[in-house]
Amino acid sequence: MTSGKARTTAALSAFFACALTSVAFSQTASIDEKAQTCLQCHGEQGKAIDPSYPSIWGQHQGYLYLQLRDFKLGNRKNEIMNGIAQDLSREDMMALAEYFSQKTWVNLNQPRASEADVKRSETAIVSGQCGACHGADGVGAGTTPRINGQSHDYLLKTMEDFRAKVRTNNPWMSDILGTLQPEDLQALANYYAGK
Amino acid sequence: MVSRTRQSLAMLAFALSAGLGATGYASAQEIKTASKWGDMNSVTQDLLSRAAGDGNNFLHTNGNYAQTRFYPNRQINVANVSKLRPAWIFQTEVKESLETSPIVVNGVMYVTTAFNHVYALDARTGEELWHFKHKMGPITVYCCGPNNRGVAVSGDMVYMATLDAKLLALDAKTGKQVWETQIADPELGYSETMAPTVVDNKVLIGTNGGEYGIRGFVKAFDTKTGKLVWTFNTVPENSVGVWATKDATGRDMKRNIDAEKAQLAKTGDPYKTLGGGVWQNPAVDLETRRIYFVVGNPSPDLDGSLRPGDNLYTDSLVSVNLDTGQYVCHLQYIAHDVWDLDAVSPPIITTVADKDGKPIKGVLHGGKTGHVYVHDAKDCSLIRFSEAMVPQENMWVLPTKEGARMLPGANGGVEWSPMAINPNLNLTYAINLHQPMTYHVESSNYPAGKLWLGGAFKVIPTEEQWGNVTAVDYNTGKIRWQVKTAQPMIGGILATAGGLVFTGEANGQFKAYDAETGSNLWKFQAGAGVNAPPSSYTVDGKQFIVVGAGGNTQIDYKRGNSIIAFTLAE
Ligand code: HEC
Ligand code: HEC
Repeated sequence: MTSGKARTTAALSAFFACALTSVAFSQTASIDEKAQTCLQCHGEQGKAIDPSYPSIWGQHQGYLYLQLRDFKLGNRKNEIMNGIAQDLSREDMMALAEYFSQKTWVNLNQPRASEADVKRSETAIVSGQCGACHGADGVGAGTTPRINGQSHDYLLKTMEDFRAKVRTNNPWMSDILGTLQPEDLQALANYYAGK
Repeated sequence: MVSRTRQSLAMLAFALSAGLGATGYASAQEIKTASKWGDMNSVTQDLLSRAAGDGNNFLHTNGNYAQTRFYPNRQINVANVSKLRPAWIFQTEVKESLETSPIVVNGVMYVTTAFNHVYALDARTGEELWHFKHKMGPITVYCCGPNNRGVAVSGDMVYMATLDAKLLALDAKTGKQVWETQIADPELGYSETMAPTVVDNKVLIGTNGGEYGIRGFVKAFDTKTGKLVWTFNTVPENSVGVWATKDATGRDMKRNIDAEKAQLAKTGDPYKTLGGGVWQNPAVDLETRRIYFVVGNPSPDLDGSLRPGDNLYTDSLVSVNLDTGQYVCHLQYIAHDVWDLDAVSPPIITTVADKDGKPIKGVLHGGKTGHVYVHDAKDCSLIRFSEAMVPQENMWVLPTKEGARMLPGANGGVEWSPMAINPNLNLTYAINLHQPMTYHVESSNYPAGKLWLGGAFKVIPTEEQWGNVTAVDYNTGKIRWQVKTAQPMIGGILATAGGLVFTGEANGQFKAYDAETGSNLWKFQAGAGVNAPPSSYTVDGKQFIVVGAGGNTQIDYKRGNSIIAFTLAE
């Protein structure tokens, strides 16, 4: 991620964060209505408006729910999502998680990783045992997320966040990624994004 | 920050897994019913109580309430076992780790698979009678594979506990669900892989979650309604204990008691997130109305700094009253464990020699440490422990950031694999693992139901691994015989009155040994890891041996989906 890009993203986020505080969720809104807010960022058609935002369409329900819960508890820190999750009840979070899990995973048509990146990733995947939890193909299940086909910039950002213990809601992922080098994370992001 | 080795996290032992793609993940509860079924009779309490002498059925996960895994039929024996041939092979829909103990009732067999499928089969032919798939909830959190170890039977019902921490009762004839109960909250790291135990209208069940900061328990539910009858918390509100500095065998554990006391003063008793799962069946003593079970590791596994004290009753044999769940006695093998060398293999009740050689009621447990422990059933006290069945080195070196090498590795010794005994020979049979590992500590705070190891176990890739089948004289503690196997052993073992011992290997070999000498009398290549406990049964006058060949997730053994039944060639 270039620093120019980072700045745009931050600005955008700030804009939406403000916009959102006024969109507080009404108790009576249906899940369909509540989900509309999410689409503003995560994409009307499932492709997020910014590559550093994650795809959530077709992600596993258990995983989506736990992230919303962690945003609400503050165990996972993100200015935007912390604000959004604040107003959600457990039922809302479960229903939103179900709603998005039932959508079709969106193909972002990201380029395949270079041979060098594939080679580097394969070594990292063996040493980090990524396949044991995320599956050989990276599609995950239950509370373990799909990572294959996820947006490249988001993958890289969130892995770096785990590694730096900025993302703190899974110490185990932090430990694993802590044993890898920054270049490994770049290769892995290319690898899983383009898979 | 000290930089950590970039070396392989390889194997982390049981740490890894969960996930595993969508294979077998049931999207909706489904039942396929065939047009006919066997002569299903109601399973009475009397049948269950007399299982140890029942040469027809196989009614309990570990054979009988004493959990001897000693099958009383001798039709298949040392003289004719060489003629043992597959009678049928049933392939399940789920190609994943098989840990099921087949249960057989009057010619009907019940087996389970990973992701909580149940099959009822005609035990003569392997024909499917019905197939039940549990509709899995969205939240499942489990460390070591989507395993299930089987059902319990009673009355006209079949009971199974699920990965999403529910207890289900199914109609034995049709596979239709009769009731379900939420045992605990999967969001907090609770899950179920063990088979339940049914006794006197109660379904007994423990829990997984020692890697997630749960508070462990054994619960009893009403067989008819699924209502909770009692709960025994495996971690009491005062979990500190006596500040033991030595393990049950007398070795110093290098605890820093002063530092622990200071931590206790600062953060209080850690009981709420201390782990202590019970994920193997209890042995039941109907005479004294007690049950005996072993309690697993404290959370987080490798980081003791956050959990001062002995961490009662983790790593212990515990006995409670069957009717009330009231504590009776315990013995802790390792206080304040930081190696995950906890107590998992299910205990066995049998007559043992006490210190003076007098026969008394005893309890055996095969420890991850590599010792067989022999207890007095009356007060749980330790009578003796066996010679070590696997190499022990550098015990008890404390885990470090860079990793400290110690043997045995974190899988043991003896993993969850149940032992079997031959009471005529005073021998107990255990299967062992030799897996050199380094133990790493990395402190982190309680992560709200997420994986919480407090470090990692790493297999040392340059060191050789192997397994053993070991026969131990429980009256002397001496190893009678030992056979080395090519891979570390996980699954289980069955002994029979025919003088045989059956157990399988990761390379697909399923073998019969002479119970007295350990000589290998028969083998069969099953095509996938035989990492499940075998059962035996008799229908129409013919004795069968049956075992699952599905490999193992935890130590990544070749997966398969076969249930294979053997009988003597005509
Ligand atoms: C203003 C923009 C915005 C809106 C609106 C928004 N999100 Fe997000 N969401 C984000 C960003 C940015 C992240 C990434 C946070 C990070 O990097 O840690 C995120 C992350 C997530 C994640 C974590 C995904 C993962 O792969 O870990 C989930 C789940 C999620 N959002 C769900 C929702 C839901 C449900 C809604 C509507 C209720 C919603 N979001 C609304 C911006 C938004
Ligand atoms: C022990 C199981 C396990 C292993 C091994 C593992 N992961 Fe994860 N991973 C998880 C779980 C569980 C999560 C969800 C984290 C949470 O609860 O917030 C996760 C989250 C992630 C995420 C964040 C996805 C998102 O949408 O935000 C990425 C990226 C990821 N893992 C990549 C990897 C890579 C690369 C490896 C190997 C180097 C790896 N993981 C190894 C279990 C595992």
